[in-house]
Amino acid sequence: MSSGSLPKGSVIRDPGYPTASENYLTNSKGALSWIFTLDHKRIGVMYLIGVTVSFAFAGLLALLIRLHLFLPEGMIFKGAEANNYYNQVFTLHGAVMVFLFIIPSIPAALGNFLVPVMLGAKDVAFPRLNLTSFYLWCIGAIFFIAALFSTGLDTGWTFYTPYSTTTDTSVIAATMGAFILGFSSIFTGLNFIVTINTMRPPGMTWFRMPLFLWATYSTSIIQVLATPVLGITLLLLIAERTMHIGIFDPEFNGDPVTYQHFFWFYSHPAVYIMILPAFGVISDLISVHSHKRIFGYRFIAYSSIAIALLGFLVWGHHMFTAGMSPLTTIIFSALTFTVSVPSAIKVFNWIATMYKGSISLTTPMCFAIAFIFLFTIGGLTGLHLGTLATDQHLHDTYFVVAHFHYVMVGGTLIAFLGGVFHWWPKLFGKMYSEWGGRLAAVIIFIGFNLTFLPQFVLGSRGMPRRYATYDPEFAFLHQMSTYGALTLGIGLVIALVVLLASLVRGKRAPANPWGGATLEWHCTSPPPFYNFERAPVVGDPYDFSNVEWDQENERYVSTEPERKLAPEESPKSVPAHADGGH
Amino acid sequence: MMLMNLPKAFSLLGDYSEPYAWFPESASSFSEINDSLYYWITITCMVFFVPIVIALFYFAVKYNKPKGTKAESNVAHNTVLEVTWSIVPSFFLVGMFIFGAKAFLEMRDVPDGANEINVQAFKWGWTIDYGSGVFHPELHILKDEPVKLSMRSTDVIHSLYIPAFRAKKDIVPGRYNYMWFKPTVASEKVSDEELAAAIKQTKDLGESWNFDEHQFTPDGYRFYDLYCAEYCGTNHSEMQTVVVVHETLEDLNAWIKQYSKRDASVPPAEYGEKLYKNRGCAGCHSIDGTKRVGPSFAELYGRPEEMITGDKINADENYIRESILYPKAQVVAGYQPVMPSYKGQLSDDDIYSLIEYMKTLAKDGGAAK
Ligand code: HEM
Ligand SMILES: [Cu+2]
Repeated sequence: MSSGSLPKGSVIRDPGYPTASENYLTNSKGALSWIFTLDHKRIGVMYLIGVTVSFAFAGLLALLIRLHLFLPEGMIFKGAEANNYYNQVFTLHGAVMVFLFIIPSIPAALGNFLVPVMLGAKDVAFPRLNLTSFYLWCIGAIFFIAALFSTGLDTGWTFYTPYSTTTDTSVIAATMGAFILGFSSIFTGLNFIVTINTMRPPGMTWFRMPLFLWATYSTSIIQVLATPVLGITLLLLIAERTMHIGIFDPEFNGDPVTYQHFFWFYSHPAVYIMILPAFGVISDLISVHSHKRIFGYRFIAYSSIAIALLGFLVWGHHMFTAGMSPLTTIIFSALTFTVSVPSAIKVFNWIATMYKGSISLTTPMCFAIAFIFLFTIGGLTGLHLGTLATDQHLHDTYFVVAHFHYVMVGGTLIAFLGGVFHWWPKLFGKMYSEWGGRLAAVIIFIGFNLTFLPQFVLGSRGMPRRYATYDPEFAFLHQMSTYGALTLGIGLVIALVVLLASLVRGKRAPANPWGGATLEWHCTSPPPFYNFERAPVVGDPYDFSNVEWDQENERYVSTEPERKLAPEESPKSVPAHADGGH
Repeated sequence: MMLMNLPKAFSLLGDYSEPYAWFPESASSFSEINDSLYYWITITCMVFFVPIVIALFYFAVKYNKPKGTKAESNVAHNTVLEVTWSIVPSFFLVGMFIFGAKAFLEMRDVPDGANEINVQAFKWGWTIDYGSGVFHPELHILKDEPVKLSMRSTDVIHSLYIPAFRAKKDIVPGRYNYMWFKPTVASEKVSDEELAAAIKQTKDLGESWNFDEHQFTPDGYRFYDLYCAEYCGTNHSEMQTVVVVHETLEDLNAWIKQYSKRDASVPPAEYGEKLYKNRGCAGCHSIDGTKRVGPSFAELYGRPEEMITGDKINADENYIRESILYPKAQVVAGYQPVMPSYKGQLSDDDIYSLIEYMKTLAKDGGAAK
């Protein structure tokens, strides 16, 4: 204990370390104990492995894309089929990143593990549904892989008609995959809504919930409300392709723009499925590693819900050049700007949280800082695209590619990494190399900017996206971007190595390595099977006043006032109502 | 080498002669308003971004404390501050919205008397209709005259994008979409020697015209790029053409006249070769035997072709004619039915000329049937 920091008359509360039979990772053994597990923590870990593998796969495809674009005439894919290969690779890269990685990453992998623990509950409301949603995710992934190995997929992840109803690639397998993944997403969302509504322990009021839970809750609302629209759209697309019913294909009197409306009605809110959980992670990271109460808690909580609802009204901004009526176009532009206000305010809140804090520049904090930097760029460049006139020039160029990578990669992926590093000790009970983690964060940050900053210039200069070859005047910027992607790749590999190495050689993690005040830091690392021995004492999740650093054991502990035991002797007179009669 | 180019890469000067400019050259009446809006938004963003980043890194360093130190302050909120930083940015947002919408309305509002040009987009090329039977893949227009493009697509969604004009519009099959612009800078003509040298080089190499290398058209005009911006399949990135802005109407008319029907003195095969290059055939059919989206024309004439139905058909005049007018009626095995129909776009004489041209590509010059 750092000398003298323990306030007088208080005792230390520290759960210590779990035994093998308490630890959720070791309390039962064998593959079957994982395959049929109903434990939300194990399901979370399985999701974590699944999304990481998907990310690695789609990341390798990204590298292929970037290497190909190193030369104007294309460097990797050659010959008569070169363009087709390129088209399939960028489609699969986008589709896998979006459907298999980024949508489930934070909500399903981290959320599954954390929601019940942060809530002080034993599990989610419907453990079986939870396991089902994981297996649906697996089946969806198999459909994607099947599409890849049959005839590929070359529609872009947006499946725009009539291209998708006429191309001879595996559109049906891929859309079936996305359809099934939709169910997985709906089930997860439903589960969280019910869990958060009904399973909060006594004392856990709405405004005592960590912001990560608010974020998960609003994400779940979107998942449940928007995903069915995607499901219906994809079914209609399959029906159109096989039966030519004439909804989307002009050859049968359909209208392709209708498809775009349907698609973006889901996919724009889906962008918030990707980013809202990231907001939640960052709010918690900033606060814990600054050891300071989060600034504007209520605003952050409400604005998550506001973004979730407003997010349903702005889908038309993906179609500013599609030839909608000018009035419709203008209305969508106006609505689009309304969403930027709550997002901007969150950034101010995070910075205000750091002000006069006690900041530890740990790996998660480095990622959180990188997040604020990158997400701000992503958000601000959205203004160029929301402004109607400039969007006419920038739409479908690399400016858009840069913008959404700043939001999805610079935002969500970085938050996901920050979250993984933050909760890693809790997940697996091991500490990783701080030095290695920070190195990874810095290389990722540099590599990311080198990859995507030049793309803003490319787009402004008129380089269209989804081009397999391009005019030579764009070569230099493309090459910078490719060098950046290689750097970024190295950073990500370092991060992975640091984490995996910790499993083998890492020190045992204490219950509370960072000094967090939310409930997950009150149980052992890793948590016991039932998370808490008895219902935890719920306090303010952002009150760090009784979290103390224990120098000797390198951990944080909570202190609580020493409770005076009741006097030993029994009361002299029995209360009147207690004696059960006269 | 990379570092030397760096300052140029971020140069803010939008100049066409400058290969590392922030914007392409600015050549339409929309460019100026668009660019100034862009700069204005960017500067506004910087006004917010720079202080945010300074605060971010400054706080991270300044308040970096040893573990266990308590935060200096624990203020949970500050209403005045929060209201201010919600409202102040909103003013800028309203400004962006209004100016953006105004400029946009102008881009949708075609001025009276604009010259109307019909554009047809197909996988993977463009056909511009100059009236009285003249079709050409290049867009030739007149300086300072507003042009309205009426656009249609024969297959999937395309998007016509001219970066130098800051103008783009999707072309949705089953609809007519329109756009307009007024070019303000005429394309120069290169010197005759330069043009002759380039033509000779192209001939010697036996390749098709390399726009990227020469940066002028086979008629000797400098040009602006015209791209397809909506992903449309295999050769999306090759669906490019050029825009030439003529200084005077006479010049434009003279150019168009060159491509009016075949002059009696021109042999059909020679004219057929022009059509092959100008009407989008070259995008999908090679003349050197390589397999592209469609079968090669090399040694096609007179060859027995196997159809997807399993039938074998001799590629004679009738078959070729049918393939041009009704491409989906008989599809060669191993290919997709993606070719657009040229019905109503090529005259009988045009088709005759194309067939004569294909005969010259046949093994024996088309002598045998
Ligand atoms: C790891 C670094 C990454 C690199 C270097 C990279 C690079 C690229 C490139 C070059 C394209 C093609 C752009 C075009 O031609 O239009 C692309 C498209 C895309 N990327 Fe990434 N990307 C990366 C990570 C991600 C991540 C993490 C996500 C999402 C979570 C993502 C989502 C997408 C999407 C949705 C598309 C659009 C695909 C389409 O047009 O159909 N990317 N990316
Ligand atoms: Cu196209």
